[in-house]
Amino acid sequence: MKKKILSVLLAAAMVASLAVGCGKSGGGGESSDGDGVKLDVIISQYGNYTQDWWTEFEKTFEEANKDIDLNIEIVSWNDIYSVVNTRISSNEQPDILNISGFADYVADDLLMPAEDYVSSELKDNFIPSFWESNDMDGTVWALPILASCRSLFCNMDLLNEAGITNPPATWDEVLAACKAVKDKFGADIVPWGLDISTDEGQAAFSYYTWNFGGGFVDDKGDWALNSKENVEAVEYIKTLIDSGYCNSAPFTDTRYPLQDAFSAGTLAMMIGPMNMVAADSTVNYVAADLPGEKTALGVCDQLMVFKDDEAGDARTEAITKFFDAFYECETYSDYMVYEGFLPATQDASDNLAANAENYKVGGSDATGSSDYFKTFCAVLPNCKFYPMQKAEWMDVRNGVIDVEQQVCNGTMGAQEALDQLQETVAK
Amino acid sequence: MKKKTLVTFQPYVWLLPSVILMVSMILIPIISVFKISFSDVGRSGVVKGLNGIQNYLDVFAEPTFWHTLQNTIIWTVVVVGVSTVFGFVLAMVLNQEFRGRKFVRAVVIFPWATALIIQSVIWKYIINADYGSLNVFLKKIGLIDAFVNWTKTAGSMFAWECWVGIFVTFPFVTFCVLSGLQSIDTALYESASVDGASFWQKLFKITLPLVAPSLTVSTVLNIIYVFNSFPIVWTISKGAPADQTHTLVTYLYKLSFTDGKGGHAAAVSVIGFVILAVCASIYMILSLRGEEES
Repeated sequence: MKKKILSVLLAAAMVASLAVGCGKSGGGGESSDGDGVKLDVIISQYGNYTQDWWTEFEKTFEEANKDIDLNIEIVSWNDIYSVVNTRISSNEQPDILNISGFADYVADDLLMPAEDYVSSELKDNFIPSFWESNDMDGTVWALPILASCRSLFCNMDLLNEAGITNPPATWDEVLAACKAVKDKFGADIVPWGLDISTDEGQAAFSYYTWNFGGGFVDDKGDWALNSKENVEAVEYIKTLIDSGYCNSAPFTDTRYPLQDAFSAGTLAMMIGPMNMVAADSTVNYVAADLPGEKTALGVCDQLMVFKDDEAGDARTEAITKFFDAFYECETYSDYMVYEGFLPATQDASDNLAANAENYKVGGSDATGSSDYFKTFCAVLPNCKFYPMQKAEWMDVRNGVIDVEQQVCNGTMGAQEALDQLQETVAK
Repeated sequence: MKKKTLVTFQPYVWLLPSVILMVSMILIPIISVFKISFSDVGRSGVVKGLNGIQNYLDVFAEPTFWHTLQNTIIWTVVVVGVSTVFGFVLAMVLNQEFRGRKFVRAVVIFPWATALIIQSVIWKYIINADYGSLNVFLKKIGLIDAFVNWTKTAGSMFAWECWVGIFVTFPFVTFCVLSGLQSIDTALYESASVDGASFWQKLFKITLPLVAPSLTVSTVLNIIYVFNSFPIVWTISKGAPADQTHTLVTYLYKLSFTDGKGGHAAAVSVIGFVILAVCASIYMILSLRGEEES
């Protein structure tokens, strides 16, 4: 009998164990009460001190707007998509969300047009390329919160020692520089940092395809994933790996350990964000244009407003006040220096190009550098962005990573893999 | 009459908290997952209505699913199988009298007692080709001249993940079997020795039958743990390269939280549920039949 009970218990445990973790929580939320308006805001965590800045902002904002109760939640990038999706599925979406990408929310009819919440002055203040990057079928659904751009980082001490005097300007020069570094340092130094992991493999795809003359879309904005330039670019990535020039685990290495390796002086070259080198690094580096077409990837995250059918004009007014307060030149400039990103508004760009020293970097006594902002803010309008406003973007994002991994792993040729992806996306 | 009613219902009152907990934490989520698997779910998690068996058809049409299913079977059989054999042998060793036995027993429990995520991260760093301690160690003792890329192919990556799975699983088997071994009366072995039984005869005729209940418990529990294990594969490879090292659990996580395909993820979850249900049924039938025979 004992054995029978044990059997039943074990069997029941076996059956129940798999599906349990996949449920979704229920609940509901409201954004306003009778006395005032409550705004739920989810902000992505950009650094170790993001929470501190927003706590201060919340305090200042609530003092200036007694009828608005701001509830700001900081969520890490690792969790934010699952947190937001879980909240949406339980009808507890925030009023304002800071995330990267909005097309899925538009497709599911969850967003309000962000352009309805900004004054004409604020609208005119956004750098046009940023404002337009959030335009989907003639409606601007999100506001650019901040931006960064990617450059080619070269450890000049290592390159000079290997006989290379300038950062490589063409893809052939990249191969030559890698060979020189490998010949000089052997296994002690990795010549080229490559991340084609599920974390940011789509960024690698854009670096190489754009700078081989291809890209995600053609001139008409239609998907053009299997262009001959893209095939050439993906084959080039495979050449880098097969030649032994890259970090040994490009399928799983994210850019963070690569950035650490670059900052520590054990990686000679990599493409990365402008603030990637650690503050305490002693590496003598240059941030150069990307080889080939010299097209940099611009990354721009957004703020968006979720629908709330029960809310009235008070909510609209409160959200407008929130945006006005956040994008106010002094406040916004302070946040940009604090987090080390580039502003999406014209007045903050001008301000930081001259006065960045007036603002503190998050978690330290260091101040911003006007030269830094002057240099990178000038580059930003020429950056290309992911085609996030297209509904198929997430499929394409995951698809190009899969293509890179399949081709570089040798399971499929570049042309075949890209043809398959193009066919899937065009369906 | 009143007292009798109270006595009759008292056990149910005591059981009620457990029942409520099981219904809310197990039954409702299971029903929810079944429902989602037959629903059209938007990328942002919005359920747009039922769509029949479309999610299942989509999942079955995906070659990655079949490869993942194959991986899951290999993963479960290899990890549970090798851990069971290795754990059993180690338990036999630890059951012997030798100096430092207590210390060795304490050390053996560590891989199992440490959090899986920590074990996975540590092993990821150990086998890293650029700065991993395995390469550094082998180079220092002169076994290799240059660093070796231990995870160059999908097969080698998956093999390492299986090894980590075995490493964290075998201590549990060892201690389950050890508890069984210690309950065997030594007189049985003494009698067998007097009758001239060999080591193998004693092993198959005395030891194995008497530790079989412990082995069954550890095997069934390990099948559940290993089949559903998430941290090892996700931490070390996230299914890379090209989704070739996924197991069902990491695959459904990727479908849900990376690809935004909640309906497909729920369908994979239900498929895994059915596989475990079949295994459980077979186990129950065999177990009950064995009891009847004995």
